[in-house]
Amino acid sequence: MDALFQGLALDYLARCDEAKTGKAWQVFLPASTLVKAAERLLAADYHIEDILAVDCAEGFVVTYHFDHFDKPGRVAIRVLAPHEAPVVPSIAGLFGGAEWHERETRDFHGVVFEGNPNFIPLLIDPDMADCFPLRKDPKSRVKTRDLLEAGEVVYCNPTFTLMAPDAPAEGHVSGGAKTATA
Amino acid sequence: MTLYADTQQVAGDFYTNNFAKTAREGSLILNLGPQHPSTHGVLRVIVEMDGEYILRAEPVLGYLHRMHEKMAEVKTAAQFIPNMGRVDYGHALGWNWAFVGAVEKMAGIEVPERAEYVRVITSELNRIASHLLWWGAYLLDLGAFTPIMYAFDDREKILDILQMPTGSRLTYSYFRIGGVAQDLSEDCIKSIRDFIPWMRSRLPMYKDLVSDNIILRKRIEGIGVIEPAQCRAYGATGPVCRGSGIGYDVRRATPYSVFPKLDFEVPTSDLKDARGRYDVRMIEIEQSMRIIEQCLEQMPEGDVLVKGAPKPSWKVPKGEAYFAVEGARGKIGVYVVSDGGKNIYRTKLRAPGFCNLSLFAEVSQGTILADAVAILGSLDLIIPEIDR
Repeated sequence: MDALFQGLALDYLARCDEAKTGKAWQVFLPASTLVKAAERLLAADYHIEDILAVDCAEGFVVTYHFDHFDKPGRVAIRVLAPHEAPVVPSIAGLFGGAEWHERETRDFHGVVFEGNPNFIPLLIDPDMADCFPLRKDPKSRVKTRDLLEAGEVVYCNPTFTLMAPDAPAEGHVSGGAKTATA
Repeated sequence: MTLYADTQQVAGDFYTNNFAKTAREGSLILNLGPQHPSTHGVLRVIVEMDGEYILRAEPVLGYLHRMHEKMAEVKTAAQFIPNMGRVDYGHALGWNWAFVGAVEKMAGIEVPERAEYVRVITSELNRIASHLLWWGAYLLDLGAFTPIMYAFDDREKILDILQMPTGSRLTYSYFRIGGVAQDLSEDCIKSIRDFIPWMRSRLPMYKDLVSDNIILRKRIEGIGVIEPAQCRAYGATGPVCRGSGIGYDVRRATPYSVFPKLDFEVPTSDLKDARGRYDVRMIEIEQSMRIIEQCLEQMPEGDVLVKGAPKPSWKVPKGEAYFAVEGARGKIGVYVVSDGGKNIYRTKLRAPGFCNLSLFAEVSQGTILADAVAILGSLDLIIPEIDR
């Protein structure tokens, strides 16, 4: 996987335990690298499985699952879309199937996919399409690092702190304990 | 039916107003569905026609949308299992399995071996029932009324068998986190043993009556060619990708349960058309019967539910997992991520029909309308699964 993404600006690349998490690799990318990464995956004959968002404390973690027909091994590509302006470029131009998955993610979480050729509501009635049912109430959002499996880190951009354990000074315990809330 | 004169819009709703017409003059916009016999429920397709030919087609979804993923947020894991029977009524046990499998994976729960066999037997029976439902309904789409009578006769026998352990006939919620709800009774096993030779004796009749029928051949051969590259771009799986020559089956590619111990073939077809998909499904019925026979031979005695299986109020431990099974329509995937709270933090359901249908717009372009119906049917659509 590191060879496939050679030369791309990645934030985080980790090998995951397939037996436990069901995926082989996890990659965090800045939104600007997403289309280039999708191009590489398309060229390497990966197929798209699904696109989803998880509403975390830091923003919407938009996850793209890819798998391979001949050499199975799921790859999760992740992009963080901030709550204030959740905008991610569309990959529907490369993977035609992404068009519907992106529209579904817009319906559920309100993430905007720039460049989607037909960005209208897919599953939810247009009259109530801006209710975003899967957005969580800010108090119940959980931090990314407490939710997602870190995996065995192969590369981590020094400026990327999303998956890093909290510094003890902040009063958190690393290894999963949640911040105490009143 | 709404006639558009050039760009001047006369009528229509949100979806027809947002339908990107091709530049062709004098084309006709036609609404297929949502209530239409060939759309298997409530699928709507907006098509732009030039005479009999389709210039552009756009499926409109959501008429059966129930937001199962939101329901997963407000129920505990065990309470969510009945929802899985209702996502896809054709292969309900496949969805049962995908969800409990994902939760078991995350919690590290080992399922007793007998339960694994029971799961394989029941879900393969369910797959045969699903293929029979498709077969009858597809031929009905193509104008052949009689086959569905035969298909439903056979399917009825499977429903009778599955009713014994599951207690229901269509929307099963039989699997539990850590096993299945109850063991197969002696009666049930005997009925399965009787069913298999009987079903085998029916298949040659199906072939003579329908598969080799010249009218059917003219309707499906060379229609709706899907290239392997399109399967990748759209994530098409199951008989759709196997009908295009890709030998991908989750039971083989990422084996789960006792499938590594079972001997069966993954049929593929290089025809890539509706015929290829038809052939693959017909062979899969035979292969499923082979699997069931082997399971009945190999199945050990023992429990069917792990000791200390989770109670309804059980909290799924922290973590994330993606689990996929091979459903009748392709790869059923369930992604769960939990923060250790009462309910699962986020559940994502990957419906194979959703991905398979998404390539319809591209494949139907340039075909005549009657063939588009033949293509739509060959994808084996179950709308509640697509809309979730």
